Amino acid sequence: MRLHHTTRTDGPTDDRAAVEVERVSHSFDGLDVLGDVSFSIEAGTVACVVGPNGSGKTTLLRLVAGLLDPDDGTVSVAGATGRRVGYLAQQPAFRGQFTVRETVDFYGALVETSPDVDAILERVGLSAVADRRVDALSGGMRRLLGIAQTMVGDPSVFVLDEPSSGLDPTMGRHIREVIDDLTAAGGAVLLSTHDLRAVERVADTVLLLDHGELVAAGRPEELLAEADAQRLETAIETLGPDAGAASVASGLRGGENA
Amino acid sequence: MLDVAQREFLTVLRTRALLAVGVGYVLLVGGVAWLAGTGSYLALVLDLLTPVELLVPVLAFAVGYRALLGDRESGELQTIRTCPVSGHWYVFGVYLGRAVVVVGVVVLGHAVAGAAVPMSGASTLSVVASHATVDSPALYLRFVPVTALFALVALALALLVSATARSSRAGLALATGAVVALVAGLDGALLGSLTAGVVPPDAATALLGLSPNTAYRSLVFELSVAPTGVTVPEGHAALLGGVALVTWLVGALGLASVLAWR
Repeated sequence: MRLHHTTRTDGPTDDRAAVEVERVSHSFDGLDVLGDVSFSIEAGTVACVVGPNGSGKTTLLRLVAGLLDPDDGTVSVAGATGRRVGYLAQQPAFRGQFTVRETVDFYGALVETSPDVDAILERVGLSAVADRRVDALSGGMRRLLGIAQTMVGDPSVFVLDEPSSGLDPTMGRHIREVIDDLTAAGGAVLLSTHDLRAVERVADTVLLLDHGELVAAGRPEELLAEADAQRLETAIETLGPDAGAASVASGLRGGENA
Repeated sequence: MLDVAQREFLTVLRTRALLAVGVGYVLLVGGVAWLAGTGSYLALVLDLLTPVELLVPVLAFAVGYRALLGDRESGELQTIRTCPVSGHWYVFGVYLGRAVVVVGVVVLGHAVAGAAVPMSGASTLSVVASHATVDSPALYLRFVPVTALFALVALALALLVSATARSSRAGLALATGAVVALVAGLDGALLGSLTAGVVPPDAATALLGLSPNTAYRSLVFELSVAPTGVTVPEGHAALLGGVALVTWLVGALGLASVLAWR
């Protein structure tokens, strides 16, 4: 069964698509943040949104998560009733007075399911700290708890806003493994990041945003071939718009851990 | 909704500052009663009325003003909004969980205060000397639920502030302003309007609903003071006071549930 959370009355037109974004525009207080953006994501794949700060990445993710309504265009998300999108905020926060287990249980209650909390915590690697209070968790563990929360209700789409931002390489690698686990289970992942090396490892599709416009999109190898480049960073410099390519690449180079 | 309420209830119980506020309320209300050493329930109601008009809003706003604001500031409200739960149900759940705490504290505080009467050893009324024969625990038992209703109204207003504010500083300023308005501002405005002749005295009853504190006071006078034969200010009607409090409660909570999900 396919449902939608925006203005359209049918689901994605492409049966393979888990997410379909068509000609979406959004503005805040008259300032255009996204303009005429279209793409789709297939189930079991990862789409990485890259672009410099202020390019509209978080706005795009919030539109797909259903937290914002587009001014124009449609966002269609496949899935059954219940929770269709699991969302990880850029700075995931949970009440510090509760344990990891209680937090996941709470989200289970919100989506009216009885999640297998132990299994979820096992998948993200938090079993050992299940009874630890959230205010005693490290930043990386909170990020993992945020991802654990996205799994509650078995959504078909996962929207992750900079999931490995500010984490050490080991934790960053672990989060990439968790993302692989999500797609292996058939989930579609849309994530934003500044980390181009991580993009090269996990992305099935790269979406390059600049000043709210989708200036390039495709599989990493397609972008590399199109730009005749060996590295994604170089390809982005080549494929970006003339006026914005340098700033796009310089913004991305300033990313975090590998 | 009950899961949301349970989380709110536990959040308050696990937050030391809020526990301290609750303990403070019980000690202050109990302290007023025990220090007064009155041997009359009617006198106790009159002794407590003014302090309670200040303490209840302080308690309710302390417990409630960050209930929604905190989650919005931390970003967790966004995560919650991706779950299939409506804003109305979520806000009602938050309200319910915190209301249990607030009402519990109010009832406990007033139980401690009420225990002062039989244990005081005093046998005469210190305030209304001629009505010792009609004094009864029932007067005080009416006072407690009316105070609990007043606390529920104050908590609903606190949630409205919490849903409106966009930062901690704004929330604190709004909460402080709301408490001052409740305790003094609205009453002062009503009194000023009457004394200045802006509002005719005949219309005083109709204006009761404009201030939760005035409505609460009128209910207490009607239900706990008037039955003893003591003359209460004219124009205070129990029905109007009760309707006014319920209207404030429902209105504030409904508006909060709309604003919280913006």
